[in-house]
Amino acid sequence: MKNKQKKDINYYLTKLVKLERRKYHPLVHKVHRKHNISKKTLFYIREYGPHSHIPRVIIKESIKVLLLASIISSIGGLAFENIKDIFISLIPIIILFPALNGLIGGFGGIVSSKFASMLHEGKAIGSLLKSRELKTLLIQILIISTITTSLSALVSLVLSQFSSYSLNFDIALKVFLIAIIDSTILVMALFFIAIKAGIYLFKKKEDPNNFLIPITTAIADFGNMIILSFLIILFF
Amino acid sequence: MKIFDSTFKEIFSSQIISLVGGVITGTIIAFYTDKLLLLPGILILLPGFLEMRGNISGSFASRLSSGLFLGVIKPNKTTIHLLKGNLIASFLLAIIVSGVLGIIAFLFNYFVFHIMTYKIIFLSLIAGILANLIEIPLTLFATFYLFKKGYDPNNIMAPFITSTGDIISICALLITLLII
Repeated sequence: MKNKQKKDINYYLTKLVKLERRKYHPLVHKVHRKHNISKKTLFYIREYGPHSHIPRVIIKESIKVLLLASIISSIGGLAFENIKDIFISLIPIIILFPALNGLIGGFGGIVSSKFASMLHEGKAIGSLLKSRELKTLLIQILIISTITTSLSALVSLVLSQFSSYSLNFDIALKVFLIAIIDSTILVMALFFIAIKAGIYLFKKKEDPNNFLIPITTAIADFGNMIILSFLIILFF
Repeated sequence: MKIFDSTFKEIFSSQIISLVGGVITGTIIAFYTDKLLLLPGILILLPGFLEMRGNISGSFASRLSSGLFLGVIKPNKTTIHLLKGNLIASFLLAIIVSGVLGIIAFLFNYFVFHIMTYKIIFLSLIAGILANLIEIPLTLFATFYLFKKGYDPNNIMAPFITSTGDIISICALLITLLII
Protein backbone atom coordinates (compact mmCIF):
# COMPACT_ATOMS: atom_id res chain seq x y z
CA MET A 1 0.00 0.00 0.00
CA LYS A 2 2.78 2.37 1.03
CA ASN A 3 4.80 1.42 -2.05
CA LYS A 4 1.85 2.11 -4.32
CA GLN A 5 1.35 5.53 -2.75
CA LYS A 6 5.05 6.35 -3.15
CA LYS A 7 4.89 5.32 -6.81
CA ASP A 8 1.81 7.48 -7.21
CA ILE A 9 3.54 10.57 -5.78
CA ASN A 10 6.61 9.99 -7.95
CA TYR A 11 4.41 9.63 -11.01
CA TYR A 12 2.65 12.93 -10.30
CA LEU A 13 5.84 14.81 -9.43
CA THR A 14 7.57 13.64 -12.63
CA LYS A 15 4.53 14.81 -14.57
CA LEU A 16 4.56 18.10 -12.68
CA VAL A 17 8.18 19.03 -13.50
CA LYS A 18 7.46 18.43 -17.19
CA LEU A 19 4.64 20.99 -17.23
CA GLU A 20 5.15 24.32 -18.89
CA ARG A 21 6.08 26.60 -16.00
CA ARG A 22 3.92 29.60 -16.72
CA LYS A 23 0.65 27.80 -17.30
CA TYR A 24 -1.65 27.04 -14.40
CA HIS A 25 -2.38 23.35 -14.38
CA PRO A 26 -5.02 21.54 -12.30
CA LEU A 27 -2.42 18.86 -11.53
CA VAL A 28 -0.81 21.22 -8.98
CA HIS A 29 -4.10 21.50 -7.14
CA LYS A 30 -4.71 17.76 -7.39
CA VAL A 31 -1.29 16.78 -5.96
CA HIS A 32 -1.68 19.42 -3.23
CA ARG A 33 -5.04 18.01 -2.13
CA LYS A 34 -4.35 14.31 -2.60
CA HIS A 35 -0.87 14.09 -1.07
CA ASN A 36 -0.97 17.11 1.24
CA ILE A 37 2.17 18.66 -0.29
CA SER A 38 2.23 22.43 0.17
CA LYS A 39 1.63 24.61 -2.87
CA LYS A 40 4.93 26.41 -2.19
CA THR A 41 6.85 23.12 -2.46
CA LEU A 42 5.02 22.22 -5.65
CA PHE A 43 5.74 25.68 -7.06
CA TYR A 44 9.45 25.25 -6.24
CA ILE A 45 9.54 21.77 -7.83
CA ARG A 46 7.86 23.08 -10.97
CA GLU A 47 9.95 26.28 -11.14
CA TYR A 48 13.39 24.79 -10.39
CA GLY A 49 12.88 21.10 -11.18
CA PRO A 50 15.52 18.91 -12.87
CA HIS A 51 14.18 19.82 -16.32
CA SER A 52 14.46 23.54 -15.71
CA HIS A 53 17.55 25.55 -16.68
CA ILE A 54 17.84 27.38 -13.35
CA PRO A 55 20.12 30.31 -14.33
CA ARG A 56 17.95 30.99 -17.38
CA VAL A 57 14.73 30.94 -15.33
CA ILE A 58 16.15 33.29 -12.66
CA ILE A 59 17.74 35.69 -15.15
CA LYS A 60 14.64 35.78 -17.36
CA GLU A 61 12.35 36.57 -14.43
CA SER A 62 14.63 39.10 -12.69
CA ILE A 63 16.28 41.00 -15.51
CA LYS A 64 13.33 43.27 -16.42
CA VAL A 65 12.78 44.47 -12.84
CA LEU A 66 16.54 44.92 -12.29
CA LEU A 67 16.96 46.94 -15.47
CA LEU A 68 13.94 49.09 -14.63
CA ALA A 69 15.33 49.68 -11.12
CA SER A 70 18.73 50.60 -12.66
CA ILE A 71 17.13 53.16 -15.00
CA ILE A 72 15.02 54.68 -12.20
CA SER A 73 18.04 54.93 -9.88
CA SER A 74 20.17 56.47 -12.62
CA ILE A 75 17.51 59.13 -13.30
CA GLY A 76 17.51 59.90 -9.58
CA GLY A 77 21.31 60.03 -9.69
CA LEU A 78 21.07 62.50 -12.55
CA ALA A 79 19.30 64.92 -10.20
CA PHE A 80 22.27 64.58 -7.82
CA GLU A 81 24.85 64.98 -10.58
CA ASN A 82 23.13 68.28 -11.46
CA ILE A 83 23.83 69.67 -7.99
CA LYS A 84 27.21 67.93 -7.64
CA ASP A 85 29.11 71.11 -6.70
CA ILE A 86 26.81 71.88 -3.75
CA PHE A 87 26.53 68.19 -2.81
CA ILE A 88 30.26 67.50 -2.51
CA SER A 89 30.75 70.64 -0.46
CA LEU A 90 28.28 69.39 2.18
CA ILE A 91 30.12 66.64 4.05
CA PRO A 92 27.22 65.90 6.50
CA ILE A 93 24.85 65.37 3.55
CA ILE A 94 27.35 63.01 1.84
CA ILE A 95 27.51 60.93 5.04
CA LEU A 96 23.75 61.13 5.50
CA PHE A 97 22.72 60.17 1.95
CA PRO A 98 23.36 56.35 1.99
CA ALA A 99 21.88 56.08 5.50
CA LEU A 100 18.70 57.91 4.45
CA ASN A 101 18.45 55.84 1.27
CA GLY A 102 18.74 52.62 3.28
CA LEU A 103 16.26 53.76 5.94
CA ILE A 104 13.58 54.95 3.53
CA GLY A 105 14.00 51.87 1.31
CA GLY A 106 13.66 49.75 4.45
CA PHE A 107 10.44 51.52 5.45
CA GLY A 108 9.09 50.92 1.94
CA GLY A 109 9.75 47.18 2.25
CA ILE A 110 8.32 46.99 5.78
CA VAL A 111 5.12 48.91 4.95
CA SER A 112 4.57 46.82 1.82
CA SER A 113 5.08 43.41 3.41
CA LYS A 114 3.07 44.32 6.53
CA PHE A 115 0.20 45.74 4.51
CA ALA A 116 0.19 42.73 2.16
CA SER A 117 -0.05 40.41 5.20
CA MET A 118 -2.88 42.56 6.66
CA LEU A 119 -4.78 42.28 3.38
CA HIS A 120 -4.41 38.49 3.36
CA GLU A 121 -5.51 38.26 6.99
CA GLY A 122 -8.48 40.56 6.37
CA LYS A 123 -7.25 43.17 8.87
CA ALA A 124 -6.95 46.05 6.44
CA ILE A 125 -10.37 46.30 4.89
CA GLY A 126 -11.63 49.86 4.55
CA SER A 127 -9.77 53.13 4.68
CA LEU A 128 -6.74 54.10 6.74
CA LEU A 129 -8.93 55.95 9.23
CA LYS A 130 -11.17 52.93 9.85
CA SER A 131 -8.48 50.27 10.31
CA ARG A 132 -6.93 50.25 13.78
CA GLU A 133 -4.05 48.02 12.67
CA LEU A 134 -3.14 50.39 9.87
CA LYS A 135 -3.29 53.46 12.10
CA THR A 136 -1.00 51.75 14.64
CA LEU A 137 1.48 50.79 11.90
CA LEU A 138 1.51 54.35 10.53
CA ILE A 139 2.19 55.83 13.98
CA GLN A 140 4.91 53.23 14.67
CA ILE A 141 6.64 53.88 11.35
CA LEU A 142 6.45 57.66 11.82
CA ILE A 143 7.95 57.46 15.32
CA ILE A 144 10.74 55.08 14.20
CA SER A 145 11.46 57.17 11.11
CA THR A 146 11.73 60.36 13.20
CA ILE A 147 14.07 58.71 15.74
CA THR A 148 16.31 56.95 13.18
CA THR A 149 16.47 59.96 10.85
CA SER A 150 17.36 62.30 13.74
CA LEU A 151 20.01 59.81 14.88
CA SER A 152 21.55 59.52 11.43
CA ALA A 153 21.56 63.32 11.00
CA LEU A 154 23.21 63.70 14.42
CA VAL A 155 25.86 61.05 13.68
CA SER A 156 26.64 62.55 10.27
CA LEU A 157 27.03 66.01 11.84
CA VAL A 158 29.35 64.64 14.54
CA LEU A 159 31.43 62.68 12.01
CA SER A 160 31.74 65.67 9.69
CA GLN A 161 33.39 67.51 12.59
CA PHE A 162 36.36 65.14 12.26
CA SER A 163 36.98 66.30 8.70
CA SER A 164 38.11 69.79 7.73
CA TYR A 165 34.47 70.79 7.28
CA SER A 166 33.55 73.96 9.13
CA LEU A 167 30.22 73.23 10.74
CA ASN A 168 28.07 75.91 12.33
CA PHE A 169 24.64 75.96 13.98
CA ASP A 170 22.92 77.26 10.86
CA ILE A 171 24.23 74.41 8.67
CA ALA A 172 23.54 71.80 11.37
CA LEU A 173 19.92 72.98 11.65
CA LYS A 174 19.49 72.89 7.88
CA VAL A 175 20.91 69.35 7.62
CA PHE A 176 18.62 68.24 10.43
CA LEU A 177 15.55 69.81 8.81
CA ILE A 178 16.41 68.36 5.38
CA ALA A 179 16.65 64.84 6.85
CA ILE A 180 13.39 65.11 8.83
CA ILE A 181 11.34 66.71 6.01
CA ASP A 182 12.69 64.23 3.45
CA SER A 183 11.94 61.11 5.50
CA THR A 184 8.50 62.31 6.72
CA ILE A 185 7.29 63.18 3.20
CA LEU A 186 8.55 59.87 1.82
CA VAL A 187 7.19 57.69 4.62
CA MET A 188 3.72 59.27 4.23
CA ALA A 189 3.89 58.92 0.43
CA LEU A 190 5.02 55.29 0.68
CA PHE A 191 2.20 54.48 3.07
CA PHE A 192 -0.38 56.05 0.78
CA ILE A 193 1.01 54.31 -2.33
CA ALA A 194 1.28 50.92 -0.59
CA ILE A 195 -2.35 51.14 0.58
CA LYS A 196 -3.78 52.28 -2.76
CA ALA A 197 -1.71 49.84 -4.85
CA GLY A 198 -2.16 47.00 -2.35
CA ILE A 199 -5.97 47.29 -2.29
CA TYR A 200 -6.06 47.58 -6.09
CA LEU A 201 -3.88 44.48 -6.56
CA PHE A 202 -5.79 42.52 -3.92
CA LYS A 203 -9.12 43.29 -5.62
CA LYS A 204 -7.62 42.05 -8.89
CA LYS A 205 -6.85 38.72 -7.15
CA GLU A 206 -3.08 39.27 -7.36
CA ASP A 207 -0.67 38.68 -4.47
CA PRO A 208 0.44 42.21 -3.36
CA ASN A 209 3.70 40.67 -2.01
CA ASN A 210 5.01 40.18 -5.54
CA PHE A 211 4.52 43.77 -6.66
CA LEU A 212 4.42 46.12 -3.66
CA ILE A 213 8.04 45.67 -2.50
CA PRO A 214 9.71 46.42 -5.87
CA ILE A 215 7.29 49.34 -6.44
CA THR A 216 7.78 50.96 -3.03
CA THR A 217 11.57 50.36 -2.98
CA ALA A 218 11.98 52.00 -6.39
CA ILE A 219 9.74 54.93 -5.36
CA ALA A 220 11.64 55.28 -2.06
CA ASP A 221 15.05 55.44 -3.76
CA PHE A 222 13.97 57.68 -6.60
CA GLY A 223 11.86 59.92 -4.34
CA ASN A 224 14.70 60.27 -1.84
CA MET A 225 17.12 61.51 -4.47
CA ILE A 226 14.63 63.95 -6.03
CA ILE A 227 13.34 65.38 -2.72
CA LEU A 228 16.84 65.55 -1.23
CA SER A 229 18.14 67.41 -4.31
CA PHE A 230 15.19 69.82 -4.14
CA LEU A 231 15.70 70.45 -0.40
CA ILE A 232 19.47 70.98 -0.85
CA ILE A 233 18.79 73.60 -3.54
CA LEU A 234 16.12 75.19 -1.34
CA PHE A 235 18.21 75.36 1.84
CA PHE A 236 21.68 76.00 0.41
CA MET B 1 -3.70 51.12 20.68
CA LYS B 2 -0.36 49.58 21.66
CA ILE B 3 2.45 51.38 19.86
CA PHE B 4 5.60 50.09 21.55
CA ASP B 5 5.01 46.37 20.98
CA SER B 6 7.25 43.61 19.55
CA THR B 7 6.65 44.87 15.97
CA PHE B 8 7.98 48.28 16.98
CA LYS B 9 11.10 46.69 18.47
CA GLU B 10 11.74 44.48 15.42
CA ILE B 11 11.37 47.34 12.92
CA PHE B 12 13.46 49.65 15.08
CA SER B 13 16.30 47.11 15.45
CA SER B 14 16.47 46.30 11.73
CA GLN B 15 16.46 50.02 10.86
CA ILE B 16 19.28 50.68 13.34
CA ILE B 17 21.41 48.02 11.58
CA SER B 18 20.61 49.66 8.24
CA LEU B 19 21.50 53.08 9.71
CA VAL B 20 24.92 51.87 10.92
CA GLY B 21 25.74 50.41 7.49
CA GLY B 22 24.56 53.59 5.76
CA VAL B 23 26.61 55.87 8.00
CA ILE B 24 29.78 53.77 7.49
CA THR B 25 29.24 53.89 3.71
CA GLY B 26 28.62 57.64 3.83
CA THR B 27 31.76 58.17 5.90
CA ILE B 28 33.87 56.21 3.38
CA ILE B 29 32.40 58.28 0.51
CA ALA B 30 33.04 61.52 2.41
CA PHE B 31 36.59 60.47 3.25
CA TYR B 32 37.42 59.69 -0.38
CA THR B 33 35.34 62.47 -1.96
CA ASP B 34 38.35 63.78 -3.90
CA LYS B 35 38.93 60.37 -5.51
CA LEU B 36 35.38 59.13 -5.89
CA LEU B 37 32.98 61.98 -6.40
CA LEU B 38 35.09 64.06 -8.76
CA LEU B 39 34.75 61.51 -11.56
CA PRO B 40 32.11 62.84 -14.00
CA GLY B 41 28.89 60.84 -13.83
CA ILE B 42 29.72 58.97 -10.63
CA LEU B 43 26.60 60.30 -8.88
CA ILE B 44 24.48 58.91 -11.73
CA LEU B 45 26.08 55.50 -11.22
CA LEU B 46 26.28 55.41 -7.43
CA PRO B 47 22.59 55.01 -6.37
CA GLY B 48 21.93 52.19 -8.83
CA PHE B 49 25.23 50.54 -7.96
CA LEU B 50 24.40 50.54 -4.25
CA GLU B 51 20.86 49.31 -4.90
CA MET B 52 21.99 46.48 -7.20
CA ARG B 53 23.64 44.56 -4.38
CA GLY B 54 20.42 44.43 -2.35
CA ASN B 55 18.34 43.50 -5.38
CA ILE B 56 20.56 40.62 -6.51
CA SER B 57 21.86 39.25 -3.20
CA GLY B 58 18.52 39.91 -1.47
CA SER B 59 16.65 37.77 -4.00
CA PHE B 60 19.44 35.17 -3.84
CA ALA B 61 19.14 34.95 -0.03
CA SER B 62 15.36 34.77 -0.27
CA ARG B 63 15.48 31.92 -2.83
CA LEU B 64 18.04 30.09 -0.68
CA SER B 65 15.86 30.48 2.43
CA SER B 66 12.79 29.13 0.62
CA GLY B 67 14.82 26.18 -0.68
CA LEU B 68 16.24 25.48 2.78
CA PHE B 69 12.82 25.57 4.45
CA LEU B 70 11.31 23.35 1.78
CA GLY B 71 14.19 20.91 2.14
CA VAL B 72 15.23 21.04 -1.53
CA ILE B 73 18.54 22.69 -0.56
CA LYS B 74 20.64 21.05 2.14
CA PRO B 75 22.93 23.34 4.18
CA ASN B 76 25.69 20.72 4.18
CA LYS B 77 25.71 19.95 0.46
CA THR B 78 27.05 22.85 -1.55
CA THR B 79 27.30 21.15 -4.92
CA ILE B 80 23.69 20.49 -5.81
CA HIS B 81 22.20 21.51 -9.13
CA LEU B 82 19.81 24.07 -7.61
CA LEU B 83 22.52 25.85 -5.65
CA LYS B 84 24.92 25.97 -8.59
CA GLY B 85 22.17 27.37 -10.80
CA ASN B 86 21.40 30.10 -8.25
CA LEU B 87 25.08 31.06 -7.91
CA ILE B 88 25.61 31.23 -11.69
CA ALA B 89 22.42 33.26 -12.17
CA SER B 90 23.37 35.76 -9.44
CA PHE B 91 26.87 36.29 -10.87
CA LEU B 92 25.56 36.67 -14.41
CA LEU B 93 22.88 39.12 -13.26
CA ALA B 94 25.52 41.14 -11.42
CA ILE B 95 27.70 41.35 -14.54
CA ILE B 96 24.78 42.33 -16.79
CA VAL B 97 23.37 44.95 -14.41
CA SER B 98 26.83 46.44 -13.66
CA GLY B 99 27.48 46.80 -17.37
CA VAL B 100 24.06 48.35 -18.00
CA LEU B 101 24.49 50.80 -15.10
CA GLY B 102 27.85 51.88 -16.53
CA ILE B 103 26.38 52.34 -20.00
CA ILE B 104 23.42 54.35 -18.63
CA ALA B 105 25.80 56.60 -16.65
CA PHE B 106 27.97 57.04 -19.75
CA LEU B 107 24.98 57.91 -21.96
CA PHE B 108 23.46 60.37 -19.45
CA ASN B 109 26.87 61.95 -19.04
CA TYR B 110 27.32 62.31 -22.78
CA PHE B 111 23.84 63.53 -23.73
CA VAL B 112 23.06 65.69 -20.68
CA PHE B 113 26.47 67.05 -19.65
CA HIS B 114 28.33 66.56 -22.98
CA ILE B 115 31.19 64.75 -21.22
CA MET B 116 32.60 61.52 -22.67
CA THR B 117 33.91 59.16 -19.99
CA TYR B 118 34.32 55.55 -21.13
CA LYS B 119 36.05 54.98 -17.82
CA ILE B 120 32.71 54.88 -16.02
CA ILE B 121 31.60 51.74 -17.94
CA PHE B 122 34.75 49.82 -16.95
CA LEU B 123 34.55 51.19 -13.43
CA SER B 124 30.99 49.90 -12.99
CA LEU B 125 31.71 46.53 -14.60
CA ILE B 126 34.94 45.73 -12.73
CA ALA B 127 33.68 47.07 -9.38
CA GLY B 128 30.41 45.13 -9.84
CA ILE B 129 32.27 41.86 -10.44
CA LEU B 130 34.64 42.54 -7.55
CA ALA B 131 31.87 43.40 -5.09
CA ASN B 132 29.78 40.38 -6.07
CA LEU B 133 32.75 38.03 -5.75
CA ILE B 134 32.64 38.94 -2.06
CA GLU B 135 28.94 39.59 -1.49
CA ILE B 136 27.41 36.50 -3.15
CA PRO B 137 29.54 33.90 -1.28
CA LEU B 138 29.06 35.95 1.90
CA THR B 139 25.27 35.82 1.41
CA LEU B 140 25.43 32.07 0.78
CA PHE B 141 27.45 31.28 3.90
CA ALA B 142 25.51 33.71 6.13
CA THR B 143 22.16 32.23 5.02
CA PHE B 144 23.40 28.67 5.62
CA TYR B 145 24.95 29.61 8.95
CA LEU B 146 21.77 31.28 10.22
CA PHE B 147 19.62 28.38 9.07
CA LYS B 148 21.91 25.82 10.76
CA LYS B 149 21.77 27.85 13.98
CA GLY B 150 17.97 27.71 13.90
CA TYR B 151 17.22 31.29 12.86
CA ASP B 152 14.91 32.34 10.03
CA PRO B 153 17.30 33.90 7.46
CA ASN B 154 14.36 35.89 5.99
CA ASN B 155 14.22 38.09 9.09
CA ILE B 156 17.95 38.80 9.30
CA MET B 157 19.39 38.70 5.79
CA ALA B 158 17.70 41.86 4.41
CA PRO B 159 19.34 44.39 6.78
CA PHE B 160 22.56 42.33 6.71
CA ILE B 161 22.77 42.50 2.91
CA THR B 162 21.86 46.20 2.81
CA SER B 163 24.56 47.09 5.32
CA THR B 164 27.40 44.85 4.14
CA GLY B 165 26.47 45.36 0.48
CA ASP B 166 26.78 49.15 0.67
CA ILE B 167 30.17 48.98 2.41
CA ILE B 168 31.55 46.30 0.05
CA SER B 169 30.28 48.19 -3.02
CA ILE B 170 31.96 51.45 -2.03
CA CYS B 171 35.24 49.68 -1.24
CA ALA B 172 35.06 47.85 -4.61
CA LEU B 173 34.48 51.17 -6.40
CA LEU B 174 37.48 52.73 -4.66
CA ILE B 175 39.78 49.77 -5.40
CA THR B 176 38.68 49.75 -9.07
CA LEU B 177 39.28 53.49 -9.32
CA LEU B 178 42.82 52.93 -8.09
CA ILE B 179 43.32 50.07 -10.60
CA ILE B 180 42.04 51.93 -13.68
